[in-house]
Order: sequence, then structure tokens, then C-alpha cells
Amino acid sequence: MTQSYDFNIEKIKNLSSEEKISRQKNLDLFYKSGFPTKQEEDWKFTDLSLILNKNFDNISNDVNFESNKDLKIIKNFEHNYISLTNGKIISSSFNFEEKNKIIIKDFSQKDSTNSNSSNTLTLLNNALSSGGFSLEINKNYKLKKPLVVYNHFSKDLKNKILNNKNSIKLNEGSELILIDYNDSNTQDNFIRNTMDVVFLGDNAILKNILIQNSKSNGHFYKYIKGSLENSSNYENYILSSGLKLNKVEIEINLNKDNSSCSIYSALNLFGDQHQEIKTRINHNSPNCKSYQKIKDVLNDNSKGVYQGKIFVEKIAQKTDAYQLSKALILNDDAEFDAKPELEIYADDVKCSHGSTSGSIDSDAVHYLMTRGIPKKQAVKLLINGFLNEALEGITNSEIKIFLEKVLEKQINEH
Amino acid sequence: MLKIKNLKASINEKLILKGLDLEIKPGEVHAIMGPNGSGKSTLANVLSGKNGYEIEGEINFDGSNLNDLKIEERAQKGMFLAFQYPLEIPGVNTNIFLKTSLNSVRKARGEKELDTLTFLKLIKEKAKELNIDEKFLSRQLNVGFSGGEKKKNEILQMKLLEPKFSILDETDSGLDIDALRIVADGVNSYKNKENSFLIITHYQRLLDYIKPDYIHVLSAGKIIKTGNADLGKQLEKTGYANLS
Repeated sequence: MTQSYDFNIEKIKNLSSEEKISRQKNLDLFYKSGFPTKQEEDWKFTDLSLILNKNFDNISNDVNFESNKDLKIIKNFEHNYISLTNGKIISSSFNFEEKNKIIIKDFSQKDSTNSNSSNTLTLLNNALSSGGFSLEINKNYKLKKPLVVYNHFSKDLKNKILNNKNSIKLNEGSELILIDYNDSNTQDNFIRNTMDVVFLGDNAILKNILIQNSKSNGHFYKYIKGSLENSSNYENYILSSGLKLNKVEIEINLNKDNSSCSIYSALNLFGDQHQEIKTRINHNSPNCKSYQKIKDVLNDNSKGVYQGKIFVEKIAQKTDAYQLSKALILNDDAEFDAKPELEIYADDVKCSHGSTSGSIDSDAVHYLMTRGIPKKQAVKLLINGFLNEALEGITNSEIKIFLEKVLEKQINEH
Repeated sequence: MLKIKNLKASINEKLILKGLDLEIKPGEVHAIMGPNGSGKSTLANVLSGKNGYEIEGEINFDGSNLNDLKIEERAQKGMFLAFQYPLEIPGVNTNIFLKTSLNSVRKARGEKELDTLTFLKLIKEKAKELNIDEKFLSRQLNVGFSGGEKKKNEILQMKLLEPKFSILDETDSGLDIDALRIVADGVNSYKNKENSFLIITHYQRLLDYIKPDYIHVLSAGKIIKTGNADLGKQLEKTGYANLS
């Protein structure tokens, strides 16, 4: 199949003529190069154009919107929520919080500056985005309960592309656990192109957890751009197993002193699933810390990719940066590609990286079997143990137990 | 309980056990002593079903041909090997491992699997008997445990799974006197008319605490001498070199 595009700005509602012009410019720029191919360094392990060609014969942004009413709520812990269908806010609830401390509204393109991007998916998002939320937490407000963003999808998304933009702003001293929860067990091939802009004020703390709850033929791309002020902390946990294709690209700018970020992922891929995590951590200020731990378990002919870059500016002395990727390759046809990069201009820094891949430890399997545990279960126990290490930074025990269950389900579903 | 006839085992085409005979009856404690390289650990490995060995001869365990049993089935039928070097398994929580192990064995024996609460109560009791700090149970399996803690953890597993036949492979190595006594007490409290033990060791030391009914000397892949508990004391004085 060779896909053709049917992208139409006119179908997007409530646009001023100015906006239409700006969007058209972005679309024209997109058309110049189309979806990225492996010739582009950033996409060398994920030839998006080729993958879309294989799986789509036409791609259209004309989605018949119909909100999905059967909202499945997580029962394991109390939480606030925002419910989205195709990225648009359907409802929200902050019953556990002081409501005047939180602003939630539809994302407005007018409020954001479109960065001139060489990333064609960003251009496409600028041109076609419809739907998204904008969340702002007031100064010094620490949410009492986590916030779950439920991502539901309408039916009939075959050959459609959804473009969403979200903004998350935590003002000085505020704290939030945000769980981005995807429930999309559709057989239809569809594309979701999301951009999250995250801003953390001084001392703000955000834990951002991405969960895919079901097997899906979704082809997802998510670009997260974070900017951190003094002593703020941003943690990402990526538990997105189940998607046919997923690329999560995270750019974090440690703009002020003592800010820190960490990225953890725990993926267990089957069939021809393909997931890439690409990170760029910019240490733009002294005394900042970054930590990355990527864990992939690859079955069948699945493919895991990690491209991680740590960039240290000349002024960013006393930087402490670390990245590690580990893959368990359980089948000869599975593949793991890792490209760690360090670019350092300061001279007093501590930066290290490591990458390993290998098969499961047969001595460990033997040990477990001598304790009466059948081989299949022993292997699952080891996979679980391997992936669970990515949850080491979760201190909230309710959430930790929940995430352990999510991982267990992702491992046992096959 | 265990009957071994003319057992030959080789690894990478190198013959290690060269025709070993051994019979252990219910309730008996046997010790195997011998110099380095005599085949002691190979015997433990072969009995546990470790891959990589070519085996000839007969091993009958409690009425079954051992070679017909999968590794996990041996455990389910009541064989237990306390490892010389218990493995560190990162990421796997000790409690979850112990519960999975116990329930796999219970399930195979047709017993009801234990729920988490019942299990935790049981494991806490057993850990207390061995003077194991409860905190170890919520840590990753053997990761960062001292040599003595790892060995105690093996004995804890033995007492939890209630095997009929236990092999202790150099359980005394790396233990200080206090830990040795705790381990020995753990074994002694589990000894009865039905349960049998095979203790593999270099030294008489452990046998001062766990009194064997028979001591066998293994040398170059064969048992060259069998005696009662006094043989161990004699060996300590004379060494292995004078036996042949």
C-alpha cells in the first residue's frame, strides 16, 4: 500500500482566518518532506514513512467525532480525572482538591507559540491539531490525589490521524502525579500525534506516568517538551506496552540551578510491535541532575529503540547525568537498538552511560525451577523483576502497587 | 528415598562421576565429603537437573526415575537443593518468589494455594525460627545479602517447602559460627523419621552440629569409603590423601 494524505484544515472548527493561514504554512512545510524516513538521523531506527506506507492506504484528519461514553474508571486508588475522547476534553473532576487552585480548559493554539521546527510531525501537529487540554496548578498547591488523564477513542478511526496539543504548567512549589492512561483496544490502524508542553516553576514536582492499558493498533507519536526552573523535579515513567507503534520523544531543558529529571521505561513487546524512546536532556544550568533507566523485553520479532542524548552547556558545571538501557532479547528475530550520546562542554561534570542487551539468565531460571516453579512462570517472574526495577522512583505505595499490576498484566496478556 | 546405581556424569565430554552408588533411606542423614574436584557439586547439580550434563546409570527418587522428572517436578515431589552459591536475582522480591514457589509446590501436590495474608503469616513464623530479619523478605532475592544471609535464606526455603529429601551443598561454607549453629538448628528441627538429607561438605565442622548416619568419601568420581560419624573425625586428622 502507498498512503495518500487527505489533510484538510477547513474541517477544523472555530478557526480564525489568521489561524488558517498559519496552519496552512505549517502544512505546506510538512508536505515538502512528508513523514520522516530513516534517512533522517532522528528516525534512523524508526522509518515512520515506510511503516505508514505498509499499514495505511490513506490518512485523513477528518474524524467523525462521537464521544465514547463507556468510561472505565480505575478503581485501585482515589483520583481526580480528565476524560478525553480523541484528545478533546469531555469531562473533568477535581473533587479531591481545592478547585480554585486548578485551571483546566481546552488547549488554545492562540496561547502557544508555534516553534519553527524541523520535525515534520510537529509541523503537522501545528497545522492540524484539534483538541487538547491546558492544565495549570497554582503556586504552592500540592494535589492531594493523583490526576488520571483518560484517553478514550471514538470508533471508526481507521486511516485517521489525531493531532493533539496539551499544556501542563506547575507554578512555583506545586506538586502533581499525572497518569496519562490510554485505553484504545481498537483493531483499526490509526495515528495519534501528540505534543505536551510542560513547564515546572521553582521547586515544582511532576511525576508523569504513561500507561497503555490494552493492546491497540494505534501508531503513536508523543513529543514532550519540558522546561524546568530552580530546584524543580520532573519524572517520567513509560509503561506503554501494547501499542503497535510508539515513539516517545522527550526533550527536557534543565534551565535553572538544581533542577532534576528522570526518565524510566519498562516495555514488554510482542509480535511486530515497535517502540522507540528518544530523549534529549539539555543541562543548561549548573548543579542539575538527570537520570535515565530504560528497560525493554523483546519477544517475537518486536523492536525496541533507545536514543538518548545528554547535552551539557559550558556553564552547566557540577552536572550529574546518567543513562542506562538494558534489553532482554527473548527471540532471535527481536531487535534492540541503542544510541547513547553525550555532548559535554563543561569540564566539571559527572556523566556516564551504559547499554546492555542479552538473553534471560538461564542459571536464574534453573534456580527458580528447583523451587518448584514451572519454566514459563519462572521466566515471567524474571521478566517482571527486570521491568519492575524501572519503578524504583515511585514512592506512593498505592500507585506503585497499581503500576506493578499494570506491568504484570502487560506480561501475562500473552 | 534415593537410590543411585552406577551413575556416570560428564560435562563437555569430561567424565566427572565415574560410577557412583548410593542409597539413602527415609529418615537417614548422609554426608559426602571429599577433596576439591572429586565431583561433589556435580552430584548436586545432576540431582537438581541442571542442564549440560550427560548422564548414564540409574537414579530412583521416591519411586520415580529421576531423569523422567522435570526440574520443577523434582521440587514438587519433595526434593530440595540448598545451593552452594545461591543466586542473586535483581528485581524479584523475596516474598513474591517464596509465595510463587510454595504455591507451585502446593498446587502440584493437590493442596490449596495460600492467599497473601496466610502466606505472610507463615513466612514470618519460619523466618523468626531462623533468626532472619523480616526486612530481608521484602528485599530483592539475595541481592546484597551476605554469604550467611543467603545460606539462611536457603534453609528458610527448605523449611517452607517441606521436602522429603534435602541436599545441602556446602551450606557451611561462608558461615560464621553463629550462622552455622542457626542453620544446623534449622536442619535438626526439621529432621524426623521420614525426611532424609544429603550433606555435601569439605569439613567436619558442620557434622559436629548435624550428626550423620553415614559418611561417604568421594574421590575422583567414585565413593571410595563409607563409614559412620567417626569417619569424619578421622578424616580431619589424616586428610583425604591417605585414603585410597
